[in-house]
Amino acid sequence: METRDNVDFVPAKSADIIQVKWLKKYYNKGAIKALDDVSVNVHRGEVLVVIGPSGSGKSTLLRSLNLTEVPTDGHIIFDGIDITSKKVPNEKGRMVKLNIDRHRQRMGMVFQHFNLFPHKTILDNMTLAPIKVKHMPKAEAEKKAMALLERVGLAERAGSYPIQLSGGQKQRVAIVRALMMEPDVMLFDEPTSALDPEMVGEVLDVMKELAKEGMTMVVVTHEMGFAREVAHRVLFMADGKIVEEGSPEDIFSHPQNPRTQEFLSKVL
Amino acid sequence: MGSFIKLSNFVRIAPYLELFKEGLIVTVMLSALTVIIGFILGIILAMMRLSNFHPLRFLAVNRHGRLRNSSFLIALSKFNPFSFLATIYVEVLRSTPVIVQIFIIYYGVFGLIDLPGFKIFGFIRFNRFFPGVVALGMNSGAYLCEIIRSGIQSIDGGQNEAARSLGLSGGQTMRYIILPQAIRNILPAIANEFVVIIKESAITYTIGVADIMSAVNAVKGATFLIMEPLLVATAIYFCLCFPTSKIIAYFERRMSRGNKR
Repeated sequence: METRDNVDFVPAKSADIIQVKWLKKYYNKGAIKALDDVSVNVHRGEVLVVIGPSGSGKSTLLRSLNLTEVPTDGHIIFDGIDITSKKVPNEKGRMVKLNIDRHRQRMGMVFQHFNLFPHKTILDNMTLAPIKVKHMPKAEAEKKAMALLERVGLAERAGSYPIQLSGGQKQRVAIVRALMMEPDVMLFDEPTSALDPEMVGEVLDVMKELAKEGMTMVVVTHEMGFAREVAHRVLFMADGKIVEEGSPEDIFSHPQNPRTQEFLSKVL
Repeated sequence: MGSFIKLSNFVRIAPYLELFKEGLIVTVMLSALTVIIGFILGIILAMMRLSNFHPLRFLAVNRHGRLRNSSFLIALSKFNPFSFLATIYVEVLRSTPVIVQIFIIYYGVFGLIDLPGFKIFGFIRFNRFFPGVVALGMNSGAYLCEIIRSGIQSIDGGQNEAARSLGLSGGQTMRYIILPQAIRNILPAIANEFVVIIKESAITYTIGVADIMSAVNAVKGATFLIMEPLLVATAIYFCLCFPTSKIIAYFERRMSRGNKR
């Protein structure tokens, strides 16, 4: 039987790329429970959309997945490796100190406030990590970056600085910057919440295209239309717990839990 | 000394112009070396103050990995020796007069070490110049530490999160993302510190460094004139400090192009 003290037997190649087990995030010695015993699996190739009122813990959950937020308790198993433990087995099965940077490379993250590097051009923003982390030759990294910029229609802005771009353009750059590392999962933390309404569409279009290509995505969003259209599975969170989980059809058309019904009646 | 400032008196100090020239070179070299030492020391101190090294961390949790209730042990577990030492250094250096520090370094530290008495360029006495550089560098390191620390802390946390999410290590993030932005933000403060050092270096004449101020003293001794050499020194110091701050302001504008349209 699977118990809370024994999660070591998780198979190396599971159908779930991320397994979250009993995740807790407490502030003030437990007075505030941002995450209260959350368990959820992310399947390979699925688009998982997390919705819920503000303060429900959905961003905390997403940010915990690559340890941007360090959980108080619980486990996150990414591709068979428990990244919340201090020591993990390496390729030869020997226990070595966990290097979180190696796992973060494989999880792209897109932030609400873009977080482009303002002192670097768009091209440099994109090529920095592949060159410094993956030791990719500069010419190759730039070629790859230009191809990605072409795809999101921003090739002519390669030499610009982030401040010269609109919000929607910045977020498209942030998405392709994360894609430069060829991640296995993309994490989106309210990617359209800081955008002017007329720019939301262009960012969602890029995300939809990514989903079509089979990218595994975890998306925290307030865009219910996007959730309905693109998600394979929707989580509804409130008070640090997953209240309801199901297909977009289940959640949006036949919500079972009163909290879900109340929330959807306000936002739809 | 009866007469006040007279043009003819400037003619009398003209033969000593060589002294002022040498003093100028000493002051510039002293300030430049001080800034370099101070900046390196400041970065090291700032890194120490911002470091995340807690060797007593294990005290906070009990055998079962749960947080202890004792607030004393929790406080002790947060103890960071690097940060503690750097903070003490910075606060002591910032709360004592430069002249005291210079005397302690010169008489206390270098009184025990026999420095070679050779002369750089034939007129800079190494055994006076070196203690002066060390003392001023240690002093400005404390101030620059605080400037650099505030610059690093002024960078939005999202920059760190974004860089780390791309797989960059903590060190790489600091080097490629945080420090370049922080240094650009604090450039006016660093320029100000450089100008302060040029002016403060005048105090090293008290330990026999032959800078501009020491030239004033020498001329005074030889000609019994005081206002005229002082005015010459004033002019030299102004010509050093004013353009320096203007030049750095120019570079600051150029470097900020990424932040402005």
